[in-house]
Amino acid sequence: MFSLSYVINELRRRIGRTLVTALGLAAGVGLVMGIIGVSEGLSNAQNRVLSPLGSVGTDVIVTRTVAPTTSTASTTTTLPTSGFGGGGGFAGGGGGGGFFAGRGSTGLNAADTQTLLSANSSIITDLAKLGKPGTQFTHDFFVPGTLITFPTAALADVAKVKGVQSAVGALSLQALHETGTVPTQVATVKTGGQTISTTVKPPTLTAAQRLAERTCIQTAITKEFGSATSTPAAGASGNSGTAGTGRIGGGAGGTRGGGLNFGGISSNPAIAACLTPAQKAYQQNVVVPEQTVRQVLNAPTTNTATSTYTVAGVNIANTQSGLVTTQQLTKGSWLSSNAAVAKTEVLVNTAYATQKGYKVGGSITINSVKYSIVGLVNPTLTGNTADLYFSLNYLQSISSSTGRINEVLVKVANANDVNAVAKAIKAALPGATVLTSANLADQVTGSLSNAHKLANDLGGALAVVVILAAFLIAVLLTLSSVAKRVREIGSLRAIGWSRGRVVRQIVAETAGIGILGGLIGIGVGAIICVIIGAVGPALSVTSSGLTVGASAVSGLIGQSTTSAVSTTVHLTAPIHLLTILIAFAGALIGGLIAGAAGGWRAARLAPASALRDLG
Amino acid sequence: MTVTTTMSATPTDGSGALYELTGITRSYSKGSVTVSALRGIDLAINSGEMVSLEGPSGSGKSTLLQLLGALDTPSTGTIRFAGRNLEHESDAELTELRSGEIGFIFQQFNLIPTLSATENVEIALIPRERSRERRQARAIELLTQVGLAHRLDHLPSRLSGGEQQRVAIARALAKAPRVVIADEPTGNLDTATATEIMGLLHELHEREGVTVIIATHDEEIATQTTRRIKLRDGSIISDERIS
Repeated sequence: MFSLSYVINELRRRIGRTLVTALGLAAGVGLVMGIIGVSEGLSNAQNRVLSPLGSVGTDVIVTRTVAPTTSTASTTTTLPTSGFGGGGGFAGGGGGGGFFAGRGSTGLNAADTQTLLSANSSIITDLAKLGKPGTQFTHDFFVPGTLITFPTAALADVAKVKGVQSAVGALSLQALHETGTVPTQVATVKTGGQTISTTVKPPTLTAAQRLAERTCIQTAITKEFGSATSTPAAGASGNSGTAGTGRIGGGAGGTRGGGLNFGGISSNPAIAACLTPAQKAYQQNVVVPEQTVRQVLNAPTTNTATSTYTVAGVNIANTQSGLVTTQQLTKGSWLSSNAAVAKTEVLVNTAYATQKGYKVGGSITINSVKYSIVGLVNPTLTGNTADLYFSLNYLQSISSSTGRINEVLVKVANANDVNAVAKAIKAALPGATVLTSANLADQVTGSLSNAHKLANDLGGALAVVVILAAFLIAVLLTLSSVAKRVREIGSLRAIGWSRGRVVRQIVAETAGIGILGGLIGIGVGAIICVIIGAVGPALSVTSSGLTVGASAVSGLIGQSTTSAVSTTVHLTAPIHLLTILIAFAGALIGGLIAGAAGGWRAARLAPASALRDLG
Repeated sequence: MTVTTTMSATPTDGSGALYELTGITRSYSKGSVTVSALRGIDLAINSGEMVSLEGPSGSGKSTLLQLLGALDTPSTGTIRFAGRNLEHESDAELTELRSGEIGFIFQQFNLIPTLSATENVEIALIPRERSRERRQARAIELLTQVGLAHRLDHLPSRLSGGEQQRVAIARALAKAPRVVIADEPTGNLDTATATEIMGLLHELHEREGVTVIIATHDEEIATQTTRRIKLRDGSIISDERIS
């Protein structure tokens, strides 16, 4: 075969060349290990982010998001204004038109936009109501973000779709936690002071009315002043019916002494009684009193700090499906099944609890209501994990969404039917956003998705390039070594070593280098993977499918137009036995390839080269 | 001292001809130019002879040495070694021949720089002797014979030129060859050391009866042999036996 001690001595005593070649291979396989690790880490991260739909027994999620309009295939079956249930059903549920509204013409469809604005309007409020100007306030607003709520009745419609095993409603809300000083800014508005004049013309009296009136007046005068009366012409003028003027008649024929003053004829009950109703109206000038109104303007955003978190409602009666289930409870206990107790309890997302220092047994105060933390949960549902979980009914009541939900979590009877069922639901509820886990995976973008793509597309190529470079280095170094050992190899041939023995010897040497390179490479790869794990670059995942949150609200307010949910996962680079074996095999193969090249070169050397004068 | 000049290919003593070379030519192609290194050599070397090949550079002595050492084959003509026609031997068979019958000593010693003196001798035994212990024992025995018992574990780089050549001689003798071919064995050594090495070769020749063929351009060395063959321009110009 070959001489092992020769191989060992050769490697040991030419340690420089051995190490350079081995390190070349080591760097190659170490990097490949790193690439494999990262690729797998990304896969793991992606699985962790994407698979949870299945892990909570939810196959399809139905939401209602603000639809961008334009023509989509679904419009063909969609009524222009009221979408599903437009005729009877659930149309007209508060907060806007029929839910799952149809598409409008351009931009966001009007109905959806209106609904969205209305749903989120609680945030655009008068902060002055929160306290006296200058005092501190803290208030949490609950808004549905872009996940528009709809009546719980939709659950029944989803449940009716063939193939649906169960449909559970959930409410995911964005909470805006605002603190700041109640603004003192006021506006002074002066109102009133105008003079309003109107002239009313009573209708002309009929002859009968006139006669009756005259008779009545005469009777009244006779009653009061006796029969002696000089009926003045004034009577006629009175008859003319300048109704509403202050006086009837004039003082033309009136005696001064006992002058008859009809002024205030209307004040004379006897005479006033004779007037027709129309004549009782009169002209008057009305002066609106002046008034000064001081009003606090809408809150300026300065000095108001806003932080957001998400809240969700879980059905306390159903602990096995929903946004979070008892399987995901990591500490403490579930919300009480007693609604009265449950309304004072809250479940906290483990990550959020860690961030905020919340512990089971502690409490959280929101809008002056104290909630006790009963349990920590580790929800995995992509895109709509919440930080706090309340009882669904209670959350509905405090967020003015009684009887409304914004997500339907559907469990499909047969896993193979998921896509068909999703289609059926979409057909049944035009305008609804129907997501399956597959959709969800497609909609995931962001660094994780990109990195995973990169790792798949380029990582493989990179690994090949790296390993080929390492092989090439090993081959070149081996060829150079063989070239330097021409005399030695010639001598071996001269003293009776066969071609095959010389080749085997060289291959054995480089195989030894390969083994060494493999061992070092495993170390290098392990270090790379450990470093990646320790540094743990953050990968963001953005899912445009399930959108909850402030982003949407801020979009409305005009700060941002993006609306997507991001999750961050830390990258790890796991090492498996298989990876180690691949790395080792890679280095060994590199050594063997180099040995084959060197051996081929050596085999072509004539034994006589031992004798040639090579200086 | 009797000097006989002969061009005969016939064996002259009872042990018979070890080498019989008939009509040997050897030419090399260097690009478009063909160089004739040997132009018609007829030569017989008997077992137990100690032959010197003399000639200036380019006379063809190295080429002849390669042919005698079964490292190369002639362009035309036949070489018979111990009755075998080397013309018809495969590379494997020639290798076999070298591993058992022919020992080489080189001007540059050609030791493996990464191996100790003992290991360098062992190397030559590897094709024939599977037992590492026996190889080692044989190597130590031979090194002791050449006076290097105290240098067994030294690397060539830590041995003097003379010591290195002794290792090379021990290596050449390891397989108990019928012929030892030495290419300028003293060329890199000072006179005193050269004398020592020649003493070893004489001892080898006389005590073991090994045929020794030495290529040299040192007349002093040549006169110590029993037969002086002079070459010029690829032809033998004189061949004298000294008895």
